[in-house]
Amino acid sequence: MDFKNTCRASLSLFRIRMAEGLQYRVSAISGTVVGVFWALLECVLFTVFYTYSEHGSWNNNGMSLPQTISYVWIAQGLFVLQTMSIDGEIMGKINNGDVGIELCRPMNLYTHWFVKSSAGKLGTSWIRSVATVLVGLLMPAAYALGAPASFAGLLCFLLSVIMAFVLCSSFAMLVTTVRLNVTWGDGPSHMLLLLSGILSGTYLPLRLWPDFMQTFLYLQPFGGFADIPAQLYIGSMPPSAALPAIGLQCIWSTLFIAAGRLIMNRKLKNIIVQGG
Amino acid sequence: MQIKLREIKKSFKVYKRPEGKWGLLKGAFMRNVTEVEALGGIGFDIAEGELVGYIGPNGAGKSTSVKVMSGILTPDSGECTILGKIPWKNRVEHVSKIGVVFGQRSQLWWDVPVADSFDVLKDIYAIPPGDYKIRLAELTATLGVEALLRIPVRQLSLGQRMRCELVAALLHRPKILFLDEPTIGLDAVSKLALRNFLKEENRKQGVTMLLTTHDMDDIEALCERVMVIGHGKLLYDGKLAGLQEKYAPEVVMKVNTDAMIAAMYNDLALT
Repeated sequence: MDFKNTCRASLSLFRIRMAEGLQYRVSAISGTVVGVFWALLECVLFTVFYTYSEHGSWNNNGMSLPQTISYVWIAQGLFVLQTMSIDGEIMGKINNGDVGIELCRPMNLYTHWFVKSSAGKLGTSWIRSVATVLVGLLMPAAYALGAPASFAGLLCFLLSVIMAFVLCSSFAMLVTTVRLNVTWGDGPSHMLLLLSGILSGTYLPLRLWPDFMQTFLYLQPFGGFADIPAQLYIGSMPPSAALPAIGLQCIWSTLFIAAGRLIMNRKLKNIIVQGG
Repeated sequence: MQIKLREIKKSFKVYKRPEGKWGLLKGAFMRNVTEVEALGGIGFDIAEGELVGYIGPNGAGKSTSVKVMSGILTPDSGECTILGKIPWKNRVEHVSKIGVVFGQRSQLWWDVPVADSFDVLKDIYAIPPGDYKIRLAELTATLGVEALLRIPVRQLSLGQRMRCELVAALLHRPKILFLDEPTIGLDAVSKLALRNFLKEENRKQGVTMLLTTHDMDDIEALCERVMVIGHGKLLYDGKLAGLQEKYAPEVVMKVNTDAMIAAMYNDLALT
């Protein structure tokens, strides 16, 4: 199958998956509530830490309190891109043996599932994302999401968000291919997902981690999920540093995709199709 | 020969929990792995346009061999060429020329209208728009599913869904159709409709069909040739009448119960 047909098929799959997702509007509302709740909780917590830290030491860690609060809102807004669990539809197919049907489609299974899972994530989550950010903007000044540091910063932020989407999707696919080992169960994939969540900065901004870890935290792949876009937005990472940071997101995406394809091709040789 | 299998072997690993009082705990640390042979060197030929019944007890290896032929599973050893190609080596190219219907699985998208699923399949199989329209109209008319196109799949009855599955499997004009228990769970009227449709499709379009089923009426109504498989080996290959001569010579006449029930349903205006 040539490239044009693959693109058309991908687009078509993307559309139907979005349409499916849009049927579950209540999940978007509940997701927003959870996101806002978390963000507020973190805002209160950080305000306490910043205000009552010894000799105001928290104020010298590279991020001011308003920056941290904006970071929290952006991270919550981007949280939907991250995979908390493997795409439900694909998971079902692995578990009950419908992988068989997927393999009867004249399409590379990796491409097929990449499109499906990323579309599944976008289905309702952009509503949740936009709603969370909107609520953040409307908060009282002390807890509000501030304006971007600069116009250039905003542009870099948007570009980086797109890359974050690709990066999150390719990592989700890597985890999915690991999960193709039916007999391993959920353990390994859940550990990977938890690790990525912590290292993405969603729970604690990476800048606030110990200094000796900063180089590692910058180079590791998961910062690209939320930390890099958020830092570009609040300006703790200047637009001049955007190119290498976004480049890093690209490199990790490529690596994840390559690894995912490799594992999948190997797994498909001795795949277990469950059930009769 | 369109389909050619030679000495295909495939075995699976089965994990067994140790027996006894502490079996559950022991099983968490060490597992007894046994190899189970699903296919023990099976081989046959099927020519273009044939409609072959594929029968055998549960666990005989029917589904496994269908999965090998549709390129899903790679066998441990043996040769298989279908339409001149090795299914698992050229999977993408191979599956664009075959259709599959698994009675126990669905290939339609659960939450969206049937027509949307067909549209996606059109793009996946790269069916030209003109041909797609003609083919869709033709299939929906013969199967009587025009009225169902705008209904989400989850709200269809089993019989309605099965008919839609058939449309989905045949949209791209496959040369070969694998049917794995297509009539499972269907009522008599739907069964008869399905059989008639398959027969017509085979006759008109010359689609080669391999029908796996436990419903012997399906076989009797559709298949000239049957293959019996057991323990992963081919045990009989020939006419259905041949089996009857050997195993049930005294049976002279049999009531077609499906036709009888279907007539009753129609009489009572239940469908």
